[in-house]
Amino acid sequence: MIILKAMSIDLNNISDSSLQYISSYLQRFMPFTIEDVKGLIQYCEIRKFDKRIEIVKEGEIDNYLNMVLKGLVRKFVKVKGKETILQLATEGHVIHSEISYLTRTPSQVILETLEPTTMVSINHKKMEEALASFPKGERLGRLIMSGMFVKKDERRYWLLSKSTRQRFIDYLDRNPHMLQRVPQKYLASYLNITSETFSRFKHLIRETTSNEIVNFPDK
Amino acid sequence: MFVVTKFYLAPMITGIFNFLNQHTTVTEAEFQFLMTKTAIHNFNKKDKITEIAEVENRIFYIGKGLVRKFFYRDDEEVITQFVKEGSLISSTASFFSRKPSQYIIEAIEPTTAFSINYDELESIYALGNKWEKIGRIITTHFLLQQEILLMDNIRLTVKERFKKFMNENPDLVQRVPQKQLASYLNIKQETFSRMKHLMYDKSLKTA
Repeated sequence: MIILKAMSIDLNNISDSSLQYISSYLQRFMPFTIEDVKGLIQYCEIRKFDKRIEIVKEGEIDNYLNMVLKGLVRKFVKVKGKETILQLATEGHVIHSEISYLTRTPSQVILETLEPTTMVSINHKKMEEALASFPKGERLGRLIMSGMFVKKDERRYWLLSKSTRQRFIDYLDRNPHMLQRVPQKYLASYLNITSETFSRFKHLIRETTSNEIVNFPDK
Repeated sequence: MFVVTKFYLAPMITGIFNFLNQHTTVTEAEFQFLMTKTAIHNFNKKDKITEIAEVENRIFYIGKGLVRKFFYRDDEEVITQFVKEGSLISSTASFFSRKPSQYIIEAIEPTTAFSINYDELESIYALGNKWEKIGRIITTHFLLQQEILLMDNIRLTVKERFKKFMNENPDLVQRVPQKQLASYLNIKQETFSRMKHLMYDKSLKTA
């Protein structure tokens, strides 16, 4: 694994804006002050990767839970040579190989950076320490877990219940910038749409001048 | 103190204690306290336990019986889970997020279940870290269950998923209508039938 830079966090050296960023992220789960962040962050490290680095390989035990500060990471699984993308994590997203990290078993999924990426990460051992001694640790841990559950369940429901057309529209509506950041075949895989269908939908959008999409075909 | 007034409930309550201690550590005293916060329900076959669009307020432990969780894609039922005695069921995402449930939970057999509701659970968490820890571990259990299912759906072929399900739940073949099993495995009923016969023929030959 090529890590460009991995460093423990020096509190004198972390910018206020980074602290603010992490605090506002954690505020989604529970009241979390800058002082709380300073307490928690001592268990964490900042890791920087170049693009196209596999930060977790298939068969390797994932030791880190990460939050992306800057950059883009994809999570995918390879079955008989075919890749299926499970997650595209950008700024503010949490990403790791859940089963591997939680059960200490070899990862079935691969995590790869698509852009130069900076993450704040907590390794499994430090996580255990933080849960035991950081006062808000257990509660935060529980709320992050349930938040992840909800996101995954919503995605599963969405994939199973919406048409390809609706998935395409929903996704680009919410993530318009991703078309520029991610190769089209990855987006198609993430949305469980064939590359051909994805292209066709994209061209239809381009040809439509108004914001409303008229006469959009269903399949 | 939780007093068991009905004799038939005793083994189910032992079941809850064992379930919790499989995943985490709960002392007798903590367990007694927890049980004072639960309610007991008896559902008839086809009773709706959780309805679509209602906010899920409870997590259930199934003491006896069998339930299914599903949603509607247009008019078609899509079954996402079967839960029998010894496990937890809830419209979990709704319970956690306090948003309306997208799923229905329905009894397949007459079912006895124990529930704890959202507000009770919050008040228990407020009692301290040991309860938060139990909560975190059970939440992690839900997350892992969901993730393992997702990975199986992607990594395994239809045949492999069928085999795995049958090996893990041989009793459900008798207890669940074939149509529902096929829906859960996302295969046609005819395919399900064919695979079932193939599997049983093989096991007879190798027996």
